[in-house]
Amino acid sequence: MDSFDGNPSRRQILKTAVAIGGASALSACLNNGGSEPIPSGDPAAKPPRQHAWREYIRHDKYDNSQLPKHQILLYVNFDEEGRPSPETRSTLEESLTVLDRGYEWSNEGLLHTIAYSASYFERFDQSLPEQVTLPQPRALSPFESPTFDTQDAVLHLASDRADVVLEAEQALRGERDTANGESVEAQLTDVATIDSRRTGFVGAGLPAERQDAEGIPDSNPVPEDSPLFMGFEAGFKGNQATEDYVTIEEGPFSGGTTMALSNLRQRLDDWYEEQSFDERVMEMFSPGHAENDLVEGIGSNLEDNSGIDEFVDNIEADAETHGRVGHAQKAARANRDAEGNVKLLRRHFESTDDIGSDQSVASLHFPSLQRRVSDFEEVRRAMNGTDLTQVTPAIRQRVNNGILEYIFVRRRGYFLIPPRRHRSVPMPQPESSS
Amino acid sequence: MDRRRFLQTASAFTVSAAVAGCLGSAGSDDEPSNSQTQSSGVPSIVENRPDGIYIPSHIEGMKMSGTAEQGDYAFGLMYSYAHRFWNVNGDSTTLTEIEDDDAIHLMANVWDPETGTVLPDTGLSVEIYQDDSLVSQETIYPMLSQPMGFHYGANFGLSGDGAYTVRLNVGAMTTRRTGSFQDRFSEPTTADIPFEYSEQERNEISFERFDTEAGTNGAVDPREMEMMPDSRAPSESTLPGRVIGTGMSNDAQFVVTVIESPPAGIDGDGQYIAVSSRTRYNQMVIPAMGIEGTLLRGDETVYDGEFTRTLDPELNYHYGAVVDSVESGDELTLQVTTQPQTARHEGYETAFGGLMGGMNDVTLAVE
Ligand code: HEM
Repeated sequence: MDSFDGNPSRRQILKTAVAIGGASALSACLNNGGSEPIPSGDPAAKPPRQHAWREYIRHDKYDNSQLPKHQILLYVNFDEEGRPSPETRSTLEESLTVLDRGYEWSNEGLLHTIAYSASYFERFDQSLPEQVTLPQPRALSPFESPTFDTQDAVLHLASDRADVVLEAEQALRGERDTANGESVEAQLTDVATIDSRRTGFVGAGLPAERQDAEGIPDSNPVPEDSPLFMGFEAGFKGNQATEDYVTIEEGPFSGGTTMALSNLRQRLDDWYEEQSFDERVMEMFSPGHAENDLVEGIGSNLEDNSGIDEFVDNIEADAETHGRVGHAQKAARANRDAEGNVKLLRRHFESTDDIGSDQSVASLHFPSLQRRVSDFEEVRRAMNGTDLTQVTPAIRQRVNNGILEYIFVRRRGYFLIPPRRHRSVPMPQPESSS
Repeated sequence: MDRRRFLQTASAFTVSAAVAGCLGSAGSDDEPSNSQTQSSGVPSIVENRPDGIYIPSHIEGMKMSGTAEQGDYAFGLMYSYAHRFWNVNGDSTTLTEIEDDDAIHLMANVWDPETGTVLPDTGLSVEIYQDDSLVSQETIYPMLSQPMGFHYGANFGLSGDGAYTVRLNVGAMTTRRTGSFQDRFSEPTTADIPFEYSEQERNEISFERFDTEAGTNGAVDPREMEMMPDSRAPSESTLPGRVIGTGMSNDAQFVVTVIESPPAGIDGDGQYIAVSSRTRYNQMVIPAMGIEGTLLRGDETVYDGEFTRTLDPELNYHYGAVVDSVESGDELTLQVTTQPQTARHEGYETAFGGLMGGMNDVTLAVE
C-alpha cells in the first residue's frame, strides 16, 4: 500500500502529478520520500480478459469494488494507413508486454487495457463478427452535442500508485528505459501518436483535496470521505453487472467486452448551494431514499446495494408528488435484463481535466462496460427522463430530473476491449484464415 | 440577426407576437427621467404584497448583447444587474438572493426565426468563456418578468471587465408540437454570442423605483425590444377558432378557443379545445403548467383529463385537448394541477400559485 498518503507534502505533489505527467512529475512522486517496492509482473500470469479487474483490486467491507486511485487514458491513432502491418502488431504487443513484465496485475501494480474504435475497424474490408456490435458514438439525449472520440484506440492505465501510472505512461512513450526495472524494448509511440491524454482519480479523500477546481463552489462542500465530487459513493456491488455478464461469450472476440467512454463536465454550484442534503439524495437516488432516510453521509450505510429496485416502479408517482426524480432510479429502469441481472459495469472516475484547455475543471470520465453498446445507450436514454417531463412540468429537461442539471457531456467514444489474445491491432475476424 | 429580415418574415406570417413598433429600447438611452442607476441600493421587497400581480418596488433596465441564429433557433442575449428572483419547484416557491460574487443577471430569449414565436418550455444552458477559459456554466431557468415576459435567466459571476463569449445550448423541445412545428426544434443547437462587459457600463443601466405605485395591483409595461420578438400571447381576435370564454386564476388569464379539428400532429377525432394562458395586464405566455379539465353536458361528462402542453404556429403555446364536440350549454372547468414551473421576477412571485398558493378553478359556460 501507499504509505505516504498521510504525508502532506507528498499529498500536495500527488494532487497534480498525474494530471501534469512527464518525467518531472514522476521524479517528484518518487523523490518525495521513497516508496515501497512495486510488485513486478509475469506476462503468463495475466488473466485472459483485459477487463478482469475486480479480483485484483481492493474491496470495501461489503465487497464493493474500490477502483484504482489513479488513472490515465491515452487516446491514440496508429501512424500507418490502412491495415496495420505485422511490425506494428509486434511493436505494440511488445510495448504492452513491457508493462506486463514490469507490474503485477493489481491495484498495487498496474491494470491496463487497450480498446479499439469503430473508426479503427474501418481500416479493413472485413466487418466485425456478428457477436460484436460496435457503432460510431452518437448523441443520446435531446440536449447534448458531444464531440465524438473516434481515435483508433484508447489505452487505460490504472493503479493505486501515481508513480506506477506515470512510469508506465513514460515507458509507452519511450521516455524511460525501464519500467519497474524491466527494460523498455518497444514503445507504443513508435507505431502510434497520442492524440489526447486524460487523467483522473477516485476514492475517499482525493476529490475533496482537489475541490479547488473550477465547477465546485468555494465553500469546499465535497465531503472528506467521498470518493466522488458529488458527495456520494457509487458502484455498489448489487448495482453493477459482473465481469462475466458483460463479457462477449462467442466468436473470435469471446472474452472481450465493449466500452462506452464519456467525459462529463460537472457544475456543482447549485448542487451544493441551492439544494439540501435531502434534495441531493432525491436527485441522486430517489425521493423514496430521502423520505425513508435511507442514505447517511456518502451512503456507505447502503452496504452493497443502493436498494433502488424498490423505488423504480414509483417513479411517475414520485415525479407528481415530489417534483423530482432520482438519477439511479431513472437509470435502473433500463439497467436490468429479464432475469433481473444488472446490465452495465460502470467504472467511472473523477478528473480535473478540461479537455482542450489547461484549466482545472471538475469532470468525470465514465467508462461503462457492457456486452452490447446498445445496453449502454438504452440506460443512458432512460436516464434522460424525457418521458417524465411529460408527466409533470415540474420535471424539466434538465431540472429536477436526477443530476442532469449539473452534468454536461463533452465527449463520447465507443470501443471494443478485445480479449488479451487479440489486444494488439486486431483484425475484425482475427481467428479466420483470411 | 438581421432586423429587417425579421420584420419581413414577421409580417409575412402575421405574427401576433411581433415587435410592435420596434421603437423601444433594450438599453438605457431613452428611459424615463425618473430613472437612476443602482448605486442608491436595491429597495427591499414590498411589504404586504397582494396575492396577485403587483407593481414591484423597482425595475431595472437591461442591455442587449447580441443575437445569433443557428439551426431552427434564433437567440437573443441581454443582461442587467444581478437580481433576486423566486425559483419554482413543484409546489414550492423560494427566494434566490443575490450572491456576493454575482455580477449580472443574464437573460436569453429563444425564438423561431421564421414565425417569431418565442420557445418556452425547453432546456437552456449557458457557458461563459474568457478566451478559452471557462468562467461559468449553468443550466438556466425559465422565468417570467413583467418587462420581458417569458425568458431564460440566471445570475452569474464574472471575472471583471472584458470580452467574453457566451455559448447558449438549447435542448430539443420535448413539448408536443403541431402544424409546421411538428418536425422542427427537434435537435439541440449551440450558438456563441460575444459579450463585452464593463462594470461601469452595467452601472449605467437604468433603475427605476416605484415609490407610490409599488405594491398595488398592476404590472409595469412590457419593454418593447428591438431585434427580438416578445412572448406575448395571441390576442383574442387573432386566436384561431371560436373563443368560448376567458377566465382568471390568480392573475393567470385563460383564453379558451375551440377549433373544428385538432391541429396536424395530434391524433383523435373531434374538436380541439386550446387554452391560451397569459399574464393578466401584459398578456405574456404562461408556460409549463399542469392543467386538467372537465367538459360537462348536463349530466354527461364529454371529456375529463389532461390538457397537454403544446406549441403550435398559430395557437402559439397552449394547453390542448381533443373532445368529441363542444356545444352551447356545455360547462368547461379547468383545474391547474401544477403551477407554472417558471421562476418569477419581482411582482410575479405571488401570482399564478406562487408564494401564497391557490390557483382557483376556472369554469366557463359555453354560449
Ligand atoms: C457525474 C456523473 C455521475 C455521478 C456522480 C453518478 C453517480 C451515481 C450514483 C451515486 C449512483 C447510485 C449508486 C450506484 O448504484 O452506483 C449511480 C447509479 C447509476 N448511474 Fe450514475 N452517476 C453519474 C453519471 C452517470 C452516467 C453518465 C450514466 C450513464 C448511463 C450513469 C448510470 C448509472 C447507472 C446505470 C446507475 C445504477 C442504477 C441501477 O441500480 O441500475 N451515471 N450513479
